[in-house]
Amino acid sequence: MPERTVIIGSAQGLHARPAKIFVHRAAQQPVPVSIRAGDRAPVPASSILGVLSLGAAQGTEVVLSADGDGADAVLDELAELLAGDLDAEEPDHV
Amino acid sequence: MRSVADRAAGLLAPEAIRLDARAAGRDDAVRLCGQVLVDIGAAEPGYIDAMLDRERSISTYLGEGVAIPHGTNEGRDLIRRDALAFVRFPEGADWNGEPVTVCIAIAARGDGHMEILAELAQALMDPDKARELREADDPDRILALLDPRAEEEHTTDPLQTGQGHTV
Repeated sequence: MPERTVIIGSAQGLHARPAKIFVHRAAQQPVPVSIRAGDRAPVPASSILGVLSLGAAQGTEVVLSADGDGADAVLDELAELLAGDLDAEEPDHV
Repeated sequence: MRSVADRAAGLLAPEAIRLDARAAGRDDAVRLCGQVLVDIGAAEPGYIDAMLDRERSISTYLGEGVAIPHGTNEGRDLIRRDALAFVRFPEGADWNGEPVTVCIAIAARGDGHMEILAELAQALMDPDKARELREADDPDRILALLDPRAEEEHTTDPLQTGQGHTV
């Protein structure tokens, strides 16, 4: 299954606004995406609870995975989002 | 090494648990939660406004009928010590259309904030645990739900030890 390893770029980590932006974007994708950190089981990237449960701070390494048509493009897009400074981004919709 | 769960439970004092609160809506509920943090000496009164600001900027609704109101980053200076408050609204509080029955209010200055959040999110991903947090009548049970170690010691109810795990 295609995967991308990415370091969380947001100063406040993957919670609050950055988590919401990421989850919202993940939910819009044509294929389901999973995210995991450390040895714990992967959680759906489209679940705010799942993403918050990772406890991913700035600098935490996470792994995105997805399968199906267009999975590579989806993973590239989401990995770029996580690596960037999500604190500075405006969400499409809150 | 102390687990995150230990820390989360250590931050929740019995006097910060309210099982029978009523709120007209989201802002009212947030004020009530903030007032508990103020009453137990964890935050300055101004922290309540920081909590309202955060809520208006981005909702802290998590799902499963649970919200986790907390202040903005700017409001951290108004925190005296890290603490949680557990406030339940049996009749529900309207959270922008979502019915919220459990609020876990957070006052945390440093990175502890994210670890507490992660721990709560893990607990809520277990639907049985989430339901118990909404329904348990006993504050000790709430404390136990947020602290797995205490839960293992909580072996008085045979229905809840049906898994037969040994400690």
